[in-house]
Amino acid sequence: MAGFAVLLRKELKQQLRTYRLLIVAAVFLFFGLGTPLLLHYLPRLVPADDMFNMTIPEFTAVDAVQEYLSNFGQVGLLAAILVTMGMVARERESGTAAMILSKPVGRGAFVTAKLAALTLVFTVGIALGGLGCYAYTLIIFGNPGGSNFLVANVVAGLYLLVCLAVTLMFSSFFRSQLAAGGLALVLLIIVALTAGLPVMKDYSPGALLKWANDIAAGSGTNAWGALIVSLLVIVLTLIIGWRVFRGKEL
Amino acid sequence: MSAISCQGLTKHYGSTIALDNLSLNIEERVIFGFLGPNGAGKTTTLKILTGLSRPTGGKAWVAGEEVAHNSIALRSKVGCLPEDPAFYNWMTGKEYLTFVGEVFRLPSKEIGARCQKLLELVDLTGAASRRIGGYSRGMRQRLGIAQALMNKPAVLFLDEPSSALDPMGRAEVLNTLLRLKEQATTIFLSSHILADVERVCDVVGIIDKGKLVVESGVDELRQRFARSLFEVEFEEMASPFVAMLERLPWVQKVDVAEGSNSSRFIVRARDVAAAKRELPRLIAESGLTLRQYQSVLPTLEDVFIELVGKKGD
Repeated sequence: MAGFAVLLRKELKQQLRTYRLLIVAAVFLFFGLGTPLLLHYLPRLVPADDMFNMTIPEFTAVDAVQEYLSNFGQVGLLAAILVTMGMVARERESGTAAMILSKPVGRGAFVTAKLAALTLVFTVGIALGGLGCYAYTLIIFGNPGGSNFLVANVVAGLYLLVCLAVTLMFSSFFRSQLAAGGLALVLLIIVALTAGLPVMKDYSPGALLKWANDIAAGSGTNAWGALIVSLLVIVLTLIIGWRVFRGKEL
Repeated sequence: MSAISCQGLTKHYGSTIALDNLSLNIEERVIFGFLGPNGAGKTTTLKILTGLSRPTGGKAWVAGEEVAHNSIALRSKVGCLPEDPAFYNWMTGKEYLTFVGEVFRLPSKEIGARCQKLLELVDLTGAASRRIGGYSRGMRQRLGIAQALMNKPAVLFLDEPSSALDPMGRAEVLNTLLRLKEQATTIFLSSHILADVERVCDVVGIIDKGKLVVESGVDELRQRFARSLFEVEFEEMASPFVAMLERLPWVQKVDVAEGSNSSRFIVRARDVAAAKRELPRLIAESGLTLRQYQSVLPTLEDVFIELVGKKGD
């Protein structure tokens, strides 16, 4: 892992200076602040329909948190892919990877530093979004449940880490960031769909989002199998990405 | 001791042979000019020797390290400037050099001093705090040279280092290379600018279609190819004599020097033996007053064209 610390510092600076950290933080903060507000005003914005006898119920703190967490599987997933797909592919294509890798740094450090930086960026985003969501939910609906809220965010964050690792692996495979992003999107959609299948639902990383929702609701269900598989997927995709990238000529 | 040595280096891209059994031996403290037309295999050689690409066959050693794909030990000892250096545009020039210094694990005090020295060397001190994204092509090229020198490399690989520079910048780079050679750096210079190679290189290798056509000292090479050119100068105008020469079967071409009013010209011989035998006799019989008669050393470009068989690019 020669050069990991130097490369990580550079990656973190890059995330800051190219506004990626700001964009990711803004996306999570937008949904964190916006979701409780939206649920608060929704019953007032949509009038009751007398003809079909439909009324929108008053939402609770749990609804607000669950709605916020559901964004992780859509906007969070897209943000993870868009930010990650060019991380290695673009550097190979532009030649910056060749400039750095002709110096004494390992390719393992090159890839791992990127995943570490991305993890930090998304952790900051999730933390800010979570704080916003917690504060607004507390003000509008009441206490969303401190420890449950925190654990639910960590579990949903782990799902996004899987998305980051898978996309980074594909970014190490190709020179084209579009190819990397496209394949990552297809694979991650398949992973999300497997969370609904009978046997797979206990082990699919996609099940983490449902688990996060259950935790937010205070339900006693768990998905330890999915958590272990997710950690394995993160490690495996990192190793595969590194091994494939190591064999690539620059 | 050899600074760079390779034996039977071969590189195939599918059915295309980019490098065909290349063997080289480059001594320490030498500037080696690596010449060849586009697609001859120069960049492929450079990538293999810097560990960025894997050879299909053969072995190589650089600065005492066996060349292996991804070798950290090898990359610690070399400096490398690719043909089109790419940078992180969000960094400033100074930040990039500092980053490179950190990659080489230099002490921070030394990094600061090296940055300052190298920025001065490549005349980028004034632009050190500007984002690289705003640099011109020449400035990027100069920054590329500076980053390649950050670790005081034992062997420096340069791919077209002066191609984007103005004449002043080119002269500066060439002088820098000569200074580096004095400081015991071996330089592997791949270039299309033959005049630059001729000016600074001790030894040249010419590669064509992946094969090494010749490896020789520059002067030795020019001597070796000197045989076919003869320079003649008379006191008076010699148009009829030139016209007569052009009709002879052993004469390939006669080039009259510009503004010489036909009094000074170069004879390119098709049959060198016939030229050596006949030309002095014809001069003596011409009745003209001879000022100069000599065998001309060709330029490196002449040699290159003769060996590669087409106009050098």
